[in-house]
Amino acid sequence: MGGHDTQQNKYVTFKSGNEYFGLKIEYVNEIIVFQEITEIPESEDYIKGLINLRGKIIPVIDVRIRFKQAPLEYNDRTCIIVINVKDTVVGLIVEKVAEVVEIPEENILPSPKIGHEEKSQNRYVYGIGKVGESVKLLLDPDKLLRDEELEMLEKASEDTVGEGEVIL
Amino acid sequence: MAEEFNTQGMLDMYLFENGQLLERLQEIVLEQKDAECFDEESINEIFRTMHTIKGSSGVMMFDEITKVSHKLEDVFYYLRESHPQKVPHLKLVEHVLEVADFITDEMEKIQNGENADGDAGKLVAELDSFLTQIKSGKGEKEKKIQENVHEEPQQFYIAPMATSASHFYKIYLTFYPDVQLANVHAYKIVYALKEIAEDLLYYPEDIISDESSAQEILENGFKILLQAQCSEAELREIIKEGYELKKVDIYECTAKEYQQGFDSIGSEIRIDLESSVEEIEARTDTAASEEENKQEEDKKPIAPGDFVIASKEPGKGKKLAKDKPKKQEKAAFISVDVHKMDMLMDLIGELVISESVVLQNPDLKVEGLKLDNFNKAAAQMSKISTDLQNVIMSMRMMPLTNTFQKMNRIVFDVSRKLGKDIEFEMSGENTEVDKNIIEHISDPLMHLVRNAVDHGIETVKERKASGKTEKGKVTLWAKTESGKVWIGVQDNGKGLERDKILAKAKKQGLLDPRREEKSYSDKEVYQFITLPGFSTNETVTEYSGRGVGMDVVVSNIQAIGGALEIESTPGQGSLMVLKIPLTLSIIDGIVMEVGHSYFVIETGAVKEFVGVRGNMLIHEPSGEEFVMIRGECYPVLRLGEWYHLDGYEADMEDGMLVLIEVEKQIVCLFVDRLIGKQEIVVKPIPDYIKKVKGLSGCTQLGDGSIALILDASGLIE
Repeated sequence: MGGHDTQQNKYVTFKSGNEYFGLKIEYVNEIIVFQEITEIPESEDYIKGLINLRGKIIPVIDVRIRFKQAPLEYNDRTCIIVINVKDTVVGLIVEKVAEVVEIPEENILPSPKIGHEEKSQNRYVYGIGKVGESVKLLLDPDKLLRDEELEMLEKASEDTVGEGEVIL
Repeated sequence: MAEEFNTQGMLDMYLFENGQLLERLQEIVLEQKDAECFDEESINEIFRTMHTIKGSSGVMMFDEITKVSHKLEDVFYYLRESHPQKVPHLKLVEHVLEVADFITDEMEKIQNGENADGDAGKLVAELDSFLTQIKSGKGEKEKKIQENVHEEPQQFYIAPMATSASHFYKIYLTFYPDVQLANVHAYKIVYALKEIAEDLLYYPEDIISDESSAQEILENGFKILLQAQCSEAELREIIKEGYELKKVDIYECTAKEYQQGFDSIGSEIRIDLESSVEEIEARTDTAASEEENKQEEDKKPIAPGDFVIASKEPGKGKKLAKDKPKKQEKAAFISVDVHKMDMLMDLIGELVISESVVLQNPDLKVEGLKLDNFNKAAAQMSKISTDLQNVIMSMRMMPLTNTFQKMNRIVFDVSRKLGKDIEFEMSGENTEVDKNIIEHISDPLMHLVRNAVDHGIETVKERKASGKTEKGKVTLWAKTESGKVWIGVQDNGKGLERDKILAKAKKQGLLDPRREEKSYSDKEVYQFITLPGFSTNETVTEYSGRGVGMDVVVSNIQAIGGALEIESTPGQGSLMVLKIPLTLSIIDGIVMEVGHSYFVIETGAVKEFVGVRGNMLIHEPSGEEFVMIRGECYPVLRLGEWYHLDGYEADMEDGMLVLIEVEKQIVCLFVDRLIGKQEIVVKPIPDYIKKVKGLSGCTQLGDGSIALILDASGLIE
């Protein structure tokens, strides 16, 4: 457990759209270059399919699609961050991995709750980390992977409150 | 920390070894439960087993186990030494099984980290009274039996019967006087001779552990008595004069001379009647002696005292045993952590992939490269990696023997409790099945066997009334057929009663009111009993009749991709057949391409491949498609459309139809291309992805890409 201290407060940051996001390094297994994906029929749009990670078959999800951003063509900068959350190993396809930064706890602010949440990526953000001049949106990987029901519910209630009418 | 670890290791070893001993014990007991009494070999073995368990439990301080095994050991010690005549055999069998159960239960507690707190007092008391009973039952002058104050059993070495083709030889070997370790050289020769020998004696005897024997061999020579079916010339081929051997003399002699032993050589006969029991135990415990025993069992027993020749090696002192069936060769096993096996399997998978990466490396595609030697080496490597795959696959396979043995026990217990007289027969228990599958079929099989004993076989009275033999019979068999394992449970009881089942089904509202009762086929009717909550047994017994069971059986079997078939003839019995895949981890599959995706389907489900012309197709207005093949009409399923894939062939004439058949239903899959047939390693689709209809797993192909495995029955639904 000696490695724990050195991992403390470290975040892997990556770019998606115009923002930078951070993931606690303890969730990250490895970062691999983009490789061919086998589609899985009838699954959610952000689940791109399966990859073969040295004999282990793991699902990969496209973070941009998950954040409801317009999908980008994959290129040689595209990376897959392999994360392990509660024994679920999943690959995250990201545009570009930026760097590993240290964000002390005092520099992390809770994510602001502003009335209308338009950007669906904020749903997965639990805090905002300040690094010098820039900010990183810190992701809750658990929510990133399985937030489906919550998302549906919130959407329904938001719509009800916001527009005063029931869709669905 | 280290100390803790050690005791844990000891405990594991204790549990593992005793578990195996108990399994073997049950096997012996059940094998001979129908005999009049145990034969001597079994008595010895049970005695030894109890002795071992007593010893190790004593060390581990499980007192109750020690007590009860000690008591049973006493009983068998008495049986062994005094040969009492009137032993209630079934009672004895029950006692042994009770003890085995008790110890198994206790060991299970220990394994789960609980205290072994069972009380053996009752069992011990029962065994005590049993022992008194058999002692008094004999009513003869008896030896006083005390634990571990062993009487010396007489031992005889039985020279094997000579067949007419056997020759007898006396062999004298003289070594050069300066040879080092002459005993080792002598042993090498003995070892080589053992291959051909029917019987082999030599002097000096103790050439392995006694180093001074080397000196004796150098001085007096090494003497061998050999019975074998080979000529002198062949013998000379094995024992050649040479670097160490100065002289080899071989004389052929008569059987009589042979039995006289080394007499004529140097009067070396010793009559070994004096070994202690401990020695016998020690000897028979070794694997080598097992082999020796077996050799001797193969031969007919001879009355004691015919030939008495002393020798420890190789003709081992052995108590005379009655005729008994030959023991089957027990293979040596080690237990390996399943995770390690999985890891090995993954590694081999990776090896295969990296192999193809190397062999098909673009760097090799340069013009004008001379690759002859490379290709040769590559072919060799491919062969090894294929072998490696086959070995790891076979490592996961286990015979059904243990599972079947358990069923034997169940028939015995249940039939006695129900007062039925039932003969149990098994065949094909050596059929090998993947370990994971064995774990899944044990419970369903137990249900079926219990059902057969409880519902199937009638009571003795009923059997008599219907003119059947009093003894019922339950047969358990296994075989491999068309890539599946078939396991059958057959009884010669009353069979399933169609009318009763139909009436019950009607009562539960399972029948289609629009159909006449007669229109249901027997098979359909029998399928009702596999529905939850369905039991025609009016009275609930301890073992069955609650209506839970058959539905659990079926769902368990389906979970591993198997099926249950029921056949029955009224008055003659029923047959339940489980058809299960050989393995869950590898299937023989056809790889197909649709769009940019690869799919695999199990070869067994594929009936044929058909290239179609447009005029064979029939389009329904509802959009469904059918194809007419040789006058038969089958539904068509376009895989690309079904899964909304991109870039698949739309024109029937460009693609290929794969006819798959599951449970008599046929569906035609339309795919773009067939890639080939290969053995594939099945991996589950990660849990994270929701279950997709018609997909049962995924696999990696040789080039590292992933293919999805189609589940034929899922597609047909």
